[in-house]
Amino acid sequence: MTLAARDIEKRFDRRAVLRKASLELHPGEIVFLSGPNGSGKTTFARILATTLAADAGTVTLDGRAVRSALTESRRAIGFAGHRPLLYLGLTPLENLEFFGKLAGVSDARARASRLLAGFGLEEFSGIPMEHFSRGMLQRVALSRALLPQPRVLILDEPYAGLDEQGADTLNTLLSEARSRGTAALLISHTRERIVPGIARSYALRNGVIEASA
Amino acid sequence: MTALRVLAKDLKLHARDARFLATLALFSLSLVLILSVAFGPLFRDPAREASATLWAALFFAGVLGLTRALDLESESGGGEALRLTGADPFSVYAGKATANFLLMAALWVLLLPCAAVFFDVGTLEVLPEVAVVAALALIGYAAWGTLFAALARGLKARELLLSILLFPTLIPLWIGAVKLTRSLWAEGSIDAVRDWVKIMVVVDVLGIALAAWLYETIQEAEE
Repeated sequence: MTLAARDIEKRFDRRAVLRKASLELHPGEIVFLSGPNGSGKTTFARILATTLAADAGTVTLDGRAVRSALTESRRAIGFAGHRPLLYLGLTPLENLEFFGKLAGVSDARARASRLLAGFGLEEFSGIPMEHFSRGMLQRVALSRALLPQPRVLILDEPYAGLDEQGADTLNTLLSEARSRGTAALLISHTRERIVPGIARSYALRNGVIEASA
Repeated sequence: MTALRVLAKDLKLHARDARFLATLALFSLSLVLILSVAFGPLFRDPAREASATLWAALFFAGVLGLTRALDLESESGGGEALRLTGADPFSVYAGKATANFLLMAALWVLLLPCAAVFFDVGTLEVLPEVAVVAALALIGYAAWGTLFAALARGLKARELLLSILLFPTLIPLWIGAVKLTRSLWAEGSIDAVRDWVKIMVVVDVLGIALAAWLYETIQEAEE
């Protein structure tokens, strides 16, 4: 599936955060988007993931506006952002099973167990997450985004809080997803630890997306 | 299935939050106790005073329950992740409203015997009818409360907005519940105030219908 954002504009109060930002993600490619703090990367990610509406411009999935088919779009796009997007009173396994089943995944529990084991969280899978560290929450959050095997992945600062082993696991999972034809957008202010095999790199500056080395 | 999954998730989250449940129970029990002392020791119309106390305690404590449910959705973005699953919005609403209803029903089970004992009213013979009245009031409370909670989510003054929206809307339910419960406890029937049943049903149906119409729009308006 091709995710295309064209001429996205977004203002908060009077401040223009995005000014005609455009980007395309094609099946089986991993694209890297960088930018300094406050450049609008998270806003752009949330617009692509449909949790935030743009003031102008369109986001399409295979040519169809995502906002005109929200259910299908959301099931095709996996998103992990700054917040964990989890229920801290539930265990990792309960969270993943809950979100997986609501997203229509029939073997959600088995997939959740595999992902948690891959991220080294097997022994914590039955413990409510109120006292989890940032890195542990990040591993569960990434598992939630990856569990339905979405066709498009939007990962905002996915390496934040991860140790070496966590980053390696994520890179392995991203490579597997790419081989299945998943398109991924990795958003970060630093390129350190990013999965090898990035198809294209961009930078977000002054609300506009520019090609980057 | 979506509604059942959301219901199970909400009940699990409430059941694991012992501090919240203790606060809710102590707050509502204290209200019943304080009002029974304030009205007593010589009650003029114990059935009226008991039913007013019971329903005042339930309605005020209910706001605590709705606020907590709101916090659970927003504190770590669980509600946002719920939206991203593409689950049917009305099913999500139905699950959440049912969880709120069951929480209020549990509170009613706790407060009813206390009110009956403190004010020395009620008999077991009218308990089924009193329970039906409670169901009518609490269905409306949960229906409107869940809708308004979704509207207030994400706002800084959400508790204030929730109370401002909720209490005026629920006045017919509160009056109906008080009048019908009082009538059952004092006279053993609702013949004199039967019309309030119709009013309560209308308020309940309106709340659910409005949610069916607006819940998705409200959910998508969150930013």
